[in-house]
Amino acid sequence: MSDFSKALDVSSSGLRAQANRLRHLSENISNADTPGYRRKLVSFQTAFSLGDAPAEVKTGRVHLDQSELEKVYDPAHPLADDTGQYDGSNVNLLIELADAKEAQRSYEANLKMFEQTRKMSSGLLDLLRR
Amino acid sequence: MFEQLDVFRMSSSMAVHAGQRQAIASQNVANSDTPGYVPKDIAAFEALYQSGHDGSAQRATRTGHLHGSVEGQQIAEPFEVRDEASPNGNSVSLEAEMLRSLDAKRQHDRSLAIYKSALSVLRSTIGK
Repeated sequence: MSDFSKALDVSSSGLRAQANRLRHLSENISNADTPGYRRKLVSFQTAFSLGDAPAEVKTGRVHLDQSELEKVYDPAHPLADDTGQYDGSNVNLLIELADAKEAQRSYEANLKMFEQTRKMSSGLLDLLRR
Repeated sequence: MFEQLDVFRMSSSMAVHAGQRQAIASQNVANSDTPGYVPKDIAAFEALYQSGHDGSAQRATRTGHLHGSVEGQQIAEPFEVRDEASPNGNSVSLEAEMLRSLDAKRQHDRSLAIYKSALSVLRSTIGK
């Protein structure tokens, strides 16, 4: 396997991981008003690589944020307890949006690397042209 | 036949080196959010060429060998670049990786230009 295909492989693994992260973020955002929803967290880890293969990245297991759920006061709500409160979700939109911005930035960086590698290998192929 | 000519050999190993550097930079960017990841780099081509030492990694001669170059491929030994780390222990700087990748691209273009020009000299000697 040439270095270029290795570079393309590892860049696409980065793109995949960031897209997966973005998917979980949008899941959190769309469930921001679901009662009792705990936000999902994904972490990245380096995939095990054999020989001189580059270290690809993959998303690890999904964790649920165990921080306290927001208490919402609404006595008319069907889930409300004796005190008139029910458990909301622990999603903080500000955090999710900041995280999404970071994911976008990393995604673009990976895309840039992919493009750069593609340019290099097409330059190599141009040697065959006269 | 071309492998015997020094200018071809040098420019092609320069292109291989640039490819390796690009692969390393891509790896660093892909892992830019992995907790605890330390970015890697390989020595500059000039340094490797002048020292005479090819800087290659250990060979993997069996399938059980986890690291090292396979099939007689010469790969430069990557080393870790310790830099300021973010709270999760990751010390990749996207800007530095972009520069590294740009460096690799320029080196690759340069080596291809040398190869091309040497090839055209060779062509003109056979009158085509």
